[in-house]
Order: sequence, then C-alpha cells, then structure tokens
Amino acid sequence: MSQTIKLEVVTPERPVFSAEVSEVQFPTASRGYYGVLPGHTPLMTEVGDGLLYYIQDGQKHWITVFGGFAEVGPDRVTILARESETMDMIDLERAEASRQRALKLLKEAITEHDLENAQAKLNASLIRIQAAGHPSGHGF
Amino acid sequence: MAGLQDIRRRIRSVKNTQQVTKAMKMISAVKLRKSQERLVALRPYASKMMEVVRRVVGRIKGDAEIQPGPAAQAFLSPREEKRIRVILVASDKGLCGGFNANVLKAANAFVSECPSEIVHLDVVGKRAAEWARKRKLTAAKEYHNLPLAGLQSVVTEISEGATAQYHADQIDALYVIYNYFNSPMSQTPTVFRVFPMEMDRRAEGRDAIEVSHLLEPDPNSVLETLLPRFVETELLRNLLESSASEHGARMAAMDKASSNAGDMIARLTLTMNKIRQASITNQIIEIVSGANA
Repeated sequence: MSQTIKLEVVTPERPVFSAEVSEVQFPTASRGYYGVLPGHTPLMTEVGDGLLYYIQDGQKHWITVFGGFAEVGPDRVTILARESETMDMIDLERAEASRQRALKLLKEAITEHDLENAQAKLNASLIRIQAAGHPSGHGF
Repeated sequence: MAGLQDIRRRIRSVKNTQQVTKAMKMISAVKLRKSQERLVALRPYASKMMEVVRRVVGRIKGDAEIQPGPAAQAFLSPREEKRIRVILVASDKGLCGGFNANVLKAANAFVSECPSEIVHLDVVGKRAAEWARKRKLTAAKEYHNLPLAGLQSVVTEISEGATAQYHADQIDALYVIYNYFNSPMSQTPTVFRVFPMEMDRRAEGRDAIEVSHLLEPDPNSVLETLLPRFVETELLRNLLESSASEHGARMAAMDKASSNAGDMIARLTLTMNKIRQASITNQIIEIVSGANA
C-alpha cells in the first residue's frame, strides 16, 4: 500500500492543486469533517464550505473549498469544488472588504432570501480570512 | 485615361476591405484566446467529473441491494427515447467560414433522421434561431449575444430545467448539437447526448474489479446532486467548445480573406502599371514621330 495520497483539487475555472500528500481533511456537506489517510476505503460524498488541510512533508497546508464533490480512494482524493483557492490565491484585503459588505447586507436584509444570501457571503469571506490567518508549517 | 481611374478606385476599395478583414482577424484571435483559455481550464474538471460519475455508476450497477432513485435512472437504465430535448449551438454573426453551415447541416440531418419527437428545442445564436424558423420548428428559448462570463448562468438554467423535465417524465434524453473544437483551424460539428449517459464498456469492466465505494450520506442523494452538476459541466464545456470554434473559424476565414485581398491588390496594381506604361509609351511615340516629321 502506498504511503501517500494523490490530492487533486479542481474547479471549473482551473486546476487548483495536485500533489502527493500524507494526510487530508476536508469539510463535507452533511457529516462534518472527514480525515483521510493512505489506504482509506473508497468513498464519495458532497463537499461543504470550509477549509481543507493536507499534510505534506510534515507541514500542514490549507485550501479553501466551497461546495462540490469529493471522491476518495486508497491512494487518491479528488475534490471537484465549485470554488477553491490555495493560500497564495487569497487576497486578504478583498476578503475583508467582502466581509464588511456582507455584514452591511445582513443588516439591510428584508426577505428570507436576502438573509440567506448575505449569510452565505459572510461565511465565505470568514472562511477566506480564517484561511489567510493560518500559518502553514509545523506545530499544528 | 478612364481605365486607369477605375483601377485606382478598385484598389482603394479592396484596400479598405482588407483593413476591415485584418481587424476582424485580430479581434477573433483575441476572443479565441479567451475562449480557449477557459476551455482548457475546464477540461481537467470535466474529465474528472466524468471519471467520478462513471465510478459511482459502476458501483451502483454492481450492487443489487441499492434501489436507484429517479435521478439515478437517468444514468443507469435509460427509458426508451420518445421525447427529447435538443440544444442547438451556432453563432450570432456570420463571416466565419463554414462554422454555421456545418453545424446546421448536422442539425438538419439529425432532425430528419431522429426517430423520437423533439419536444423542446433551445437555440443559442441568431443563426440557429433563423434556421429553426426556416424549418418551422418553434424554439422554446433563444439565447443571443451570450457573453463568456454569462455562460454559467445559462448553463445552470438549462441544466436545472432539463433534469426537472426528466424527473417529470417530459423528456427522455438531452442532446446538444455544436461545433467541437479540434484546433483553431478545424472544427467538427458534433451531436452529443448529455444524458442518459453513454457508458463505455471497458470502463465498466474496470470499475467492477475495484473495491466498491461508500456513498455518503446515501447513494441516491449523492447521485441526485451529482447529476445536475454533471449536466451543467458538460453543457458549459459544449458552449465553450462552440465559442472557441466560432472565433477560430472566423479567424481562419478572415485570414483567408485578407490574403485574397492582398493577391487582388497585387494583380490590380500590375494591370494598373501596365496600362500606365502603355499610355506613357504611346505618348512618347507620338512626340517622337511628331519631331521626326
């Protein structure tokens, strides 16, 4: 059995990430977080919004994922995300601005639909800010 | 001399035309690059999506205990095709060689040969809409002047509509007729069935050997969400292929036109010089013979 997993994250806009890693954890839509080690049983599930982390050479790295599907095999994890960014793709200023906008929208929201929209936007911006705040490296 | 004037005028007009075709070629090249970039970026996603769907379907097929839900039916056991929905993708503008003619020819062949009834027709592009009117087919919806950024919302709309129609037992299959993008210089008109999915026998055999997948939370809800996403991705890919093809075809056509104009200018200039030379020679002869006399 191989000691690494091939993690692939792709979105409709671009392939985001592809490398051999030793551990992956990703958010699912209905069952919280899934941690995957090499030799995991084949699995297929819907991905939620949140932070994915993988460990490569003992270092922890983070990737944001928003919706989509994950397919897990003994030696691979394939994430088909609706949207996804690695750390260096995130623009903290933009995320902060979008958080402010979302907060404003949330206050002004009248209908249920507006409220949900604003909430989703706020969530997304918070995930990005949180991601940018995570130092990658040892000591996790 | 009248002949000389005429030729000069013609050269000027051909030059103007050449400028226009050259500009159009440049514009198409830029647009082609944009479409192609998006297409190239989408392809890995689309092929992964296809792979995942194949695996899940292979898994469900191999397991008799799982009762496939209505969404899964579309993948697993296709109904007899009686009513189909067709999406015809052409362009808004002409001047792109055989791009529209080829895809409309393919559409003609498809419509006259297909045994099932077309209950729902969507057309993308004015040329496709004109074709539908000529064939006396009523298009349910016409999409014109689609910007590249707006494709996603159109795709979502069509995909949601089509899957809903499938569930409601209104259609049995979804087809797309479009130009497949081989390279900037070559396109192939293609008729593609989005669903029910055509399963590759070889892929099925391979998947059967693999350990079966756990499907969380349960197989049906996974498929239920997977199917619309899959249809969406395939449609988006088809529209992008068509868009890239269009700009490629236009670029090729305009390149041809520019070089033809160049040839024409060269030919006309030659004739013009000949006539001018002839008139000069004539005048000299007149003067010389006058001096001699």
